[in-house]
Amino acid sequence: MTEMERTRNFCIIAHIDHGKSTLADRLLEYTGTLTGKDLKAQVLDSMDLEQERGITIKSHPIRMTYAAAGVPYVLNLIDTPGHVDFNYEVSRSLAACEGALLVVDAVQGVQAQTINNLYLAVEHGLTILPVINKIDLAAARPEYVADQLGDLIGCQRSEVLMVSAKSGAGIDDLLAAIIAQVPPPAGDPEAPVKALIFDSLFDPYVGAVAYLRVMEGTLRKGDKVKLIRQDRVHDVGEIGWFRLQRVPRQHLSAGEVGYIATGAKDVRHIRVGDTVTLAERPCAQPLPGYAEAKPMVFSGFYPTDNDAYNELKDALQKLQLNDASLTWEPEKSAALGFGFRCGFLGLLHMEIVQERLEREYDLNLIATLPNVEYEVDTKDGRTLLVENPALMPSPHDTLQIREPIVRATVITPKEFIGNVIQITLERRGVQKKMEYIDTERVTLEFDLPLNELVVDYYDKLKSVTKGYASLDYEYLAHRPGDLIRLDLLINGDPVDALACIVHRDGAYNWGLELCRKLKELIPRQMFQVAIQASIGTRVVARTTVKPFRKNVTAKCYGGDISRKRKLLEKQKEGKRRMKQVGAVEIPQEAFMALLKVER
Amino acid sequence: MTAVSAQGPPPRRRPGGGVYLHVPFCASLCSYCHFPRTDRHDAASRRRVVEAVLAEFALRRDACATLRDGRRPALTCYVGGGTPSVLEPDLFVRLLQGTWGRLARSPRPEVTAEANPESFDEGRADAWREAGVGRVSLGVQSLDADVLRLLGRRCDPDRARAALRLAAARFPRVSADWILAPGCRRERLAREFAEARELGVGHVSFYILELHAGTPLAADVAAGRLPRPRDAEVESLYLGACEDLERLGYRQYEISNFCLPGQRSRHNAAYWRRTPYLGLGPGAHGFAGNRRYANVADLTRYVAEVEAGRLPEARADRLGPAARRLERMFLPLRTAAGAPLRDLPANDAVLARGEAEGLWRRARGRLALTPRGRLRIDDVESLFAGLARSGPVDTPKSFGLTCGAVPGTGATGAAG
Repeated sequence: MTEMERTRNFCIIAHIDHGKSTLADRLLEYTGTLTGKDLKAQVLDSMDLEQERGITIKSHPIRMTYAAAGVPYVLNLIDTPGHVDFNYEVSRSLAACEGALLVVDAVQGVQAQTINNLYLAVEHGLTILPVINKIDLAAARPEYVADQLGDLIGCQRSEVLMVSAKSGAGIDDLLAAIIAQVPPPAGDPEAPVKALIFDSLFDPYVGAVAYLRVMEGTLRKGDKVKLIRQDRVHDVGEIGWFRLQRVPRQHLSAGEVGYIATGAKDVRHIRVGDTVTLAERPCAQPLPGYAEAKPMVFSGFYPTDNDAYNELKDALQKLQLNDASLTWEPEKSAALGFGFRCGFLGLLHMEIVQERLEREYDLNLIATLPNVEYEVDTKDGRTLLVENPALMPSPHDTLQIREPIVRATVITPKEFIGNVIQITLERRGVQKKMEYIDTERVTLEFDLPLNELVVDYYDKLKSVTKGYASLDYEYLAHRPGDLIRLDLLINGDPVDALACIVHRDGAYNWGLELCRKLKELIPRQMFQVAIQASIGTRVVARTTVKPFRKNVTAKCYGGDISRKRKLLEKQKEGKRRMKQVGAVEIPQEAFMALLKVER
Repeated sequence: MTAVSAQGPPPRRRPGGGVYLHVPFCASLCSYCHFPRTDRHDAASRRRVVEAVLAEFALRRDACATLRDGRRPALTCYVGGGTPSVLEPDLFVRLLQGTWGRLARSPRPEVTAEANPESFDEGRADAWREAGVGRVSLGVQSLDADVLRLLGRRCDPDRARAALRLAAARFPRVSADWILAPGCRRERLAREFAEARELGVGHVSFYILELHAGTPLAADVAAGRLPRPRDAEVESLYLGACEDLERLGYRQYEISNFCLPGQRSRHNAAYWRRTPYLGLGPGAHGFAGNRRYANVADLTRYVAEVEAGRLPEARADRLGPAARRLERMFLPLRTAAGAPLRDLPANDAVLARGEAEGLWRRARGRLALTPRGRLRIDDVESLFAGLARSGPVDTPKSFGLTCGAVPGTGATGAAG
């Protein structure tokens, strides 16, 4: 058998929390890739945040060896990101594999993401191995879930692999099944080089590193390679495959998974989905499926302390080194000063970036309400892309506003169908499909404005289904909407960072509710704070935060100055999360007030 | 013992500082008080504490060349409490002479002692005057029997009047404390102030009663036995009383202090001007150089520390640039002259808004609170503290009583 015939490239697809990372760890252990001292939970989720939130953000390929019937096999596992925000990355990882383990939780059963990722894998022609995980749990219902899987992919109960990643039960059978069922890669090591970039990473020592799967030909150290979509040429400074760390080699051939270090200073030059070929002897066609990562959600990030602007800029630059899908550009807000309009793949991506800036770079940030990108036709014949509500042209100058619509897939137990439909219709959703997966559960499909989804849909969905529903979505198109800008005024001055785009029908209510919420969130302070919501020049709601009344005029008894000073220092520290807007102190949360409005 | 001033360039003449002596004894405890004091004491324990204060003074003087060499004379002395008039006259004199009396003093010092009307008698008045006290501050609080009862004061109004008369007859300057308490009415307060003026009171400390957790008064309010004072009522009473005091000629020069011309307390000015003061006694606070300290308040522990030859400090803070900046911002806000604008955050929106709302005025490079602004001083301070930006760092200044650290005692060097 050739090495290629003894190679299996596969990935694991699963809904969040169905045990993907734990299963990966177990595979590493059973193949002897990990030994005792390396065995800490979820080795592959290397970022603190990944471990803490139990989600994978970056791909983590790893090469394992495993002997079956005396024959050593090479198993390349590509651990894919597990969140809808990173769907494109998932699809590129899938394209690098021949097989996929479809992992489903034995208690929770099939979820929305399971299905969407499954469809993705099937589209890529992958061999699917159905796996039920967590069979050790008391509440496990493996037969029931096996029947769900049977309905979904047309397999027999007996073909479903039962494992417990926690206890190790069934892992050897799983490894044997991977070898037996996942087809070996194909490809000609002598053909012109064609390799797929499925992830990238910035390494301060060797520059941008491309993770790739070689489809055709052989890449060697020192080769001059061309990235077809970027039309850039790089030197292969280092080449190798992945164990726990990168292991340098001399070459990578068709069917192999590994990396090249290019010396590029920026991961944006190493785009996921691009095709690597040789500059001298290029392949005829790039690999299909390439797309530019397109930010879908936008938010203004401002330091609470204006002096921290440059620190924020440095931090964003550093994050971007490793995150090609993060975009940002400087922006100025009359209320918040200088900051950045940042673009994200989705809400989770935004939260992760925000959390990393605050934690790893010790920045205090104001993030404005997440927004989507609107297409605006103006009367003077231009089409603008607007991702900041404050920049929305006035209705007098506007012909049409189009907003992004997504196709949302919700899987819910049947008793919550009514709730799900209700909250979705309230958010301008249009029901497209309803299908029973089994006797208990239903798939619902809606067309829904992304803006509505971004605001509070996911939280609401979880709350009306007691946490049982799962959600996935994909972009459909921009469609016209009757949208207007709702302005918030503090003490008579519009605060640009509080403006939002809403549908005309709900605008009045939004105004009332926003004023009410802001009154809750803005603490009483030195000066009276008048809060108004307006559409154009028409004030639709107003409320007031009353100022403090008296404090006490104490004597400076016996000269105890320190007590007072320490109190002030404490108060000052407490204000780090407030933004001074004119004469008013506005807490961070207030800029997210819209997200907290009940409707 | 080496002190910085002994090693540096030849000392220039600099203004001296003040001395604060804390007498922690009271005949009875007032319902609102939260300062270090006790009503359980006898002649022996009083003597023991006074001797300990003298010993503390000796410790601090040994540790500090500035206190020894006399180049920077002390300007003011304040004997506070507690109730200094509870001390036997000879013990009081010993306390004052054994501390203040051993320092180099300016030619016209200000020496103040606090007294309670009920324990202030002719014998004490004569002994104090003889010992150099030139200013008496009487804890009158009110001339209304109901208010006095509520405050847990033992004194009745006639006793208070008699004490004021005695003080005015014996001392060139008399101050009296008044408190804005539940049950006060504007007309009544105004009559009391007028009476004080006639009795020869040149200085009034007038402050709003605070409810401090742990005091009997706070417990009464919490339990509903007393009504919680309504803010609006207290505000209008306070503003009215300030007007009435001004009409009588008492000018408000600080948030709770009013005086006739020439009667300002020089001692208290040290607190908001950040000049040094030596604090002695249980629970006393002191400040010198960039160091603030607080003594142990517990009498037994205080005496034990001093008798063991240790400085009886419970806490000491070195002030960094940010802390000094903060102090320079908030302390002068208490005064009528206000704070220099250069020490305040340059946020024009805020400064203009407060002015428009009548909370403060800006003039001649300073910001001064109006009476309405004074009512909200805690918020004003907090507002400005929150806005403070890191500006240029000030160079540490040496004040009169600056001392270096004591070798062998590390960071807890003596100050004063």
